[in-house]
Order: sequence, then structure tokens, then C-alpha cells
Amino acid sequence: MVSTEAPLEDLIFRGEPDWLRENRRSALESYQRLPAPSKTDEEWRRTDVSRLDPSAFSRFEKAPAHTTMATNLPKGVILESLPVAARDYAELVQPRLFSLAQAHRDRFTALQAALFTGGIFLYVPDGVEIDEPITGRHFSHESGTTVQPHTLIVAGKNSKFNYLDEYIAEHDDEAGYRSGSTEIFLGEGSQVGYVAVQKWGRNVWHFSDQRAELGKDATLRLFNVTLGGKFSKTRVEASLAGEGSNAELKAIYFASGEQFFDFHTLQEHRVGNTRSDLLFKGALQDVSRTVYAGLIRIEKHAARSDAYQANRNLVLSDKAKATSIPMLEIDNNDVRCTHGATVGPVDPEHLFYLRSRGITEATAKRMLIQGFFGDVLDRIPFEHARKLVEAELESRIG
Amino acid sequence: MATVPKVEVGTDYKEKYGFFVPEEYVFKAKRGLNPDIVKEISWMKQEPEWMTKMRLRSLEIFRKKPMPTWGADLSVIDFENIFYYLKASDKQSKTWEDLPPDIKATYDRLGVPEAERKFLAGVSAQYESEVVYHSLQEELTKKGVIFTDTDSALRDHPDLFKEYFGTVIPPADNKFSALNTAVWSGGSFIYVPKGVRVDIPLQAYFRINAENMGQFERTLIICDEGSFVHYIEGCTAPIYTTDSLHSAVVEIIVKKNARCRYTTIQNWSTNVFNLVTKRAMAYADATMEWVDGNLGSQITMKYPSVYLMEPGAKGDVLSVAFAGKGQHQDAGGKMIHVAPNTTSTITSKSISKGGGRTSYRGHIKIYPGANNCKSFVKCDALLLDDESRSDTYPYNDVDAENVTLGHEATVSKVSDEQLFYLMSRGIPRGEAETMIVNGFIEPFTKELPLEYAVELNRLIQLEMEGSVG
Repeated sequence: MVSTEAPLEDLIFRGEPDWLRENRRSALESYQRLPAPSKTDEEWRRTDVSRLDPSAFSRFEKAPAHTTMATNLPKGVILESLPVAARDYAELVQPRLFSLAQAHRDRFTALQAALFTGGIFLYVPDGVEIDEPITGRHFSHESGTTVQPHTLIVAGKNSKFNYLDEYIAEHDDEAGYRSGSTEIFLGEGSQVGYVAVQKWGRNVWHFSDQRAELGKDATLRLFNVTLGGKFSKTRVEASLAGEGSNAELKAIYFASGEQFFDFHTLQEHRVGNTRSDLLFKGALQDVSRTVYAGLIRIEKHAARSDAYQANRNLVLSDKAKATSIPMLEIDNNDVRCTHGATVGPVDPEHLFYLRSRGITEATAKRMLIQGFFGDVLDRIPFEHARKLVEAELESRIG
Repeated sequence: MATVPKVEVGTDYKEKYGFFVPEEYVFKAKRGLNPDIVKEISWMKQEPEWMTKMRLRSLEIFRKKPMPTWGADLSVIDFENIFYYLKASDKQSKTWEDLPPDIKATYDRLGVPEAERKFLAGVSAQYESEVVYHSLQEELTKKGVIFTDTDSALRDHPDLFKEYFGTVIPPADNKFSALNTAVWSGGSFIYVPKGVRVDIPLQAYFRINAENMGQFERTLIICDEGSFVHYIEGCTAPIYTTDSLHSAVVEIIVKKNARCRYTTIQNWSTNVFNLVTKRAMAYADATMEWVDGNLGSQITMKYPSVYLMEPGAKGDVLSVAFAGKGQHQDAGGKMIHVAPNTTSTITSKSISKGGGRTSYRGHIKIYPGANNCKSFVKCDALLLDDESRSDTYPYNDVDAENVTLGHEATVSKVSDEQLFYLMSRGIPRGEAETMIVNGFIEPFTKELPLEYAVELNRLIQLEMEGSVG
């Protein structure tokens, strides 16, 4: 990425505590050491990154990378830029930062851990409930740059709140290297709604890891919206580590033009009496392509687990292509696991029904797409985000 | 000259191969694999030169190909410690007394007739069926159907054989198809002429040749235009073998408007690695159906596949796997849509018990231009206890337009409600569980001929009691 260490120290390491600088350096080493993903690696078999050279985007943006919006935060809540929090609240940040996202997992997470720029830290103490959703907005302004925001959320015991990450490009045709990763720690009994809306420029490379760990009786409602990028790879992973925890993972994506979206999901049931419910729905237009690969893993002693996984693709153009690979690894019998995947065009009977009522083909198609997304849009955990997503989708379906 | 142990050449040997082994020559089945052994196998069979060359070339390929790194753990196979060719007389040198008691007990419980038991156990060939076989052969010959073992086919129908052999599964397809092509022996050869329907299912063990239960059998079925045949291999009773590796290749060509159904019930003893490549090519409006049951073996890796070559072709896989203690059944199916307007379905049912592991592994591939295809996959898994494991790995690659693809899978245990219902009617728990399991695989059993279905149900009952394996 950047050949000498000095500019890095100046650009992004400056003012950061020693432990973070050390972590960044070690992640950068991993980035340089780790091999490029190979076509024989199952995760990358259908996802081609051979034409990506991150060092082509070695400039960082000077303008502020993010803003946060929150009103009347209760006492004890910390909402801070991640580098500042790393210095001021090291005891909260240090043990958690990149412990879920795993800095050394592959080249791209290593790059994220080495060079994340800005980012947000949110800490909600035990028992605190926040009514108004908190919003983090991450911006890019220029073409050819690297923008790598990172969000770290820590939910205390029995806390309850909603959070929205928005990734916004100033110009829709921007090229560059983008990410937007999130780690969420859910304490016992906490309830967290999390929405991420990715609207980077249409010519960027985008990599993202969204990973949550759920304690006892915690509930996560995660919603991912992927719209931007010419290439977007997102991992959504929930680790159910406490009994009674419940993860709802939903996503919608709308790919058009030459966009390529890749989603890898993991529902990891590490203990019993846990529940996960995943639904990823996408529509594809033009010559776009999407890959979905999801895994439900139920470990040996995770009895009475209930897992559901579905991926539905609506292929609107003859040239668009959706690949769907839902996988199960079940090591316990006292469980209920169901998964399903569908890839198909708009049902000609539905279209015929609408046409026979005098609706033009274009309108009928739009209605069917809206209907297709309708049931999952209802699952967006809070009103503010729902409206935002509906508006975004509306403008794209056109 | 040192005393060379004389080999008992079975009397049938001479009739079969039509030559006499000179006294000084001793064919001793050696362990291990090298070009000399492959040449010897080919020489013993008096094969044409092209086959010898093909075997040698396949051996090279086998050596070059790496072991598959996915699926079951195959690292324990020691290729140098395997007999690659045994004469029929060698095979029957075992006696009934040598069989492990559990295998004998299973035969008793299943009610397999004495003679059949010995055949299954590899103790003797099933001469009793000779009569049935001959009357069947007469009828088939009248219709122009060829049903013979693969070695005889190479000798008696060389042109037909050469035209199709190795065309569906070339030696370089995978490591084990290369191995099979190098050392194959036995298996069935079927040719059904244009428009001929074979009404009764053809069963492998009608044939008197003991080699049809061989380790490296090679089956080739050709269904000419508009014909129909149903072939059944294997049986529900456990097949005892001391060979630890079974690596068969099955090639099927289903021409325009023809239909072929291939039923397998595999119940190898639990020391066997069962690594089989099965593939069919289905042409215009043809139908290929695989009905595949896997009960035995230590490890099975088997994914019957259909290449849908021309419009209107239809492929169907119905697969059942049962994994008990120490077993890993890695089974599934592949559907390769090469032509537009083709359809395929895969239905998989798996049951794991006592620490067994079942994996469904499937691949749906729809090539560019193969537009308007439909494919549906359904996998259901039943886990009978908390030591067992079930995995589902479906791979889907769609490169065509207007394709409808669906995949559904469920994993569950025996439902408490169903169990309660049956038990409340006075049925003991064990029996109730067996009934539920039999109900679970019913879509499979109802596709089997009656006698097989009955035997399969009985076998499931035995497995459920834990008295076997």
C-alpha cells in the first residue's frame, strides 16, 4: 500500500497509543506476508480480485472521514472517534478491537486492521437504553483514494439501542479502495439493532467484515444494505456464545450495471438454546453478478438450537447471474435447521396477472420487485433506517 | 530351480480366457501398483493393445493427480498395500468360518438364503442363479440386448466397446477414475438397441461371474434411441470383503428419447473405502435416473451425475445415506446443464446415528447458453443422537439466462411429537423410532423393486436396534 513507514506514521498513526501502533504494524506485516487469494480457495473461487492492486490507491483523504449524530445521549455512553477512544478508553478498546474481525485472517482484513482511518467507537453501559437511533456517517470525497472506516460497538448488560452506519460517496462514479467493517459485542441481555447501508461510488473495490458476538440472552437485529461499488465483498458473521441469544441477520442488495457483490455469512452456534435467522434477498439487473455463500455451524454441545438461512435472488435480466451456496455443518441432533436458496426470474404468471389489469410491463416489474423486497424491509429494526433504505431502493428500481 | 508354488488355476479360467497358463509361469497377485502389474492384468485378460495402452496412460495420470483435499479424509489409504488384481479362484479361497460374526448374524437376521449368503460373503459364486440367468439371456438376445460382464464385452463386442469406453468418464477426470481405468476388472456391460424396452430390471448378481463384486469394477451402459432399461446393482445385505478400497466407474449413455434407471444399494462392510465415479450423458428428451442408497462402508464418496447434453434432457438423483458408528457417508449428486431447456432434481435423505457423519455434497452447473433450465435440490437429514453429525454443501454455478434454481435443506432429530403419538398408541420407543426412520426414507424405498424395499426396511430396523455394525 504505502511503501515507506514514515508517511504512515505521519498520516494515520500519529497521536495513537503504542499498542495500537504496534497492532497496525503487525497487521501491515500480515498484509505483506499473506498470499493473494487463490482461485482454488473455496471462498475466492467465484470472486476475482486478481485485478485489484490496493497500492494503486495509496492516497488517504484529508477531509473528515465521518460524523456522528446522536441526541441526548444518557450519561456514561461513549461515542467517540476510534483513534481517540483507543487512547482515552484503552481498557475498553484494546481487548476488543479486531478480536472478532481477526486482523490476520486474510490480506483484506489485515489491510483494514493496519490502515483503518477514523472510525467510530460506541460504548453503552449496563442497563442503559437509548431511544433515538445513533447514526455514524462515513464519507469519501475523491477518486483514487483509500477510505477504511471501522466501527466498534460494545453493548453493556441489558442495554438497548439502535445504530446506523451509512457509507456515502460524494460522487457516484468514484473509484478507489473502500471498506466498512463493524465489530459488535453484545453483553448479557442486551438488545441491539444495527443497520449498515453501503452506498460507495460505483467504481470502488469494497471489503467489509461485520461480525458480532452475542452473550447470554442477547438479541441482535442486523440489517445490511449493499448498493455501491463495482466490487463488494461482505462477510456477515454472528457468533452465538451465550445461551438464549438470538441473532437476526437480514440483508438486501440491488446490483445493476457491471456490479459484482459477494456475501459470505456464518451463523455459529457455539452453545445451546440459541437461535439465528438469516434472510438475504437480492435483485440483479443488467450484467451484474452476485455470490452468496452461507454456513450454519452447530457445535457439538449446542443442543436445542434453531437456525434458519435463506437466500433469494430475483434475476431481472437474462445476462445477470446469481450464485447461491447455502451450507450446513450440524454436530448435534437436538436442533432444527432449515435453509433454502432460490435463483429465478420474475414469475411470468405474476407479470401476466398485472399486465392483464392494464398495468404496463415496466410498472408491473417495479411492483413485483417492491413486493419481493417488501417482507424483508419490514424487518429493518428501526423506522429511521427503514425510510432511508426504502428511499434508496425506490430511486434505484426507478 | 527353486520350488515355485503352483497356482490353482480354476477350471473356468481356461474356458473364460481360452488359454492355458504355462506351468512355469506363476501369476501371483502382488501388492502395490506399477506398470508391470498393469501390463500383467492386461496380459492375463488378453486385451487388445489399445486397452493396455489406455491402462498404462491412466496409471500415469493416477500417479500425477493429487489426492482430493475436500470431502472425507482419505489420507489413510495405502495404495502400495492393495491387491489390484485377483483371479476369481483367489477370491473364493476364504471360507464361511473366516467371516466376522456380525456379518453372519446379519445374514441370519435378514433371512438371506444360505447359497446367496455365501455369494455375498465372497465365499462362492452364485451358481444357483445360472438357470435364471440363461433364460433371461435368451430373451434379451432375441431383442438384441447385450447384457454381459465388461471383460467379455471387450472381447465379444470390441467395436461397440471401443466407441464408448472412457468417453463419459475419461481417465483424467479424477484420481480414482484414473486408478479404475488402470486396473479395472469386471462390472456390467449393457447395450439396449433402438426402441427396445427391457421390462424386467437387470440385476448385477444374475450374472454368475464372481468378479461383478470386484474392487475396481467398470460398468458401461448404452441406451440407444427410444429404449428403456432399469439396472440394479448391489443388494441390501452387507457385502463382506477384505479389500479395503472399492473404486468403481460407471458410464452411461442415454440417447434421444431413451430412459435409463440405475439403482444401487451399497452395503459394504465397514472397513471399506468406497470411492465411486458415476456419470451419465443424457441426450435430447432422454431421462436418466440414479437411485442410490449408501448404507455400508467406512467412507463413501459418491456423487452420481448427469450431463444434460441436449434440449429436453432430464436428470434425477434420489439418494439415501445411513451413517452409523465410525462411518462417513459423503454422498450427493451433480447435474451439469450443457443444453437449454433441461431439467434436473436431486433429492437426498440422510440419517446419522451413533457418531456417524453424513454429508450432502452437490453441484448444479448451468453452462452459458443453457437457457431456460430448471433445477431443484432437496436435502433432508435426520440426526438420531447428539454424537452424530450432518453437513450440507451444495454448490451452484449458473451461467445461463432465465434459469430457475431452488435448494432446500432441513436437519432435525426424530420429532418428539411423532414419537409421542406412536408411543401413546402402545408402540415401544425403539419400534416407533424405526417406523419414523422408515417413513423418512419412504420416497426412496418406494422407488425400489418390492423385494429390495422389504429388505431395506428390515435392514434399517437392524441398524436402529444397534445390533449390526
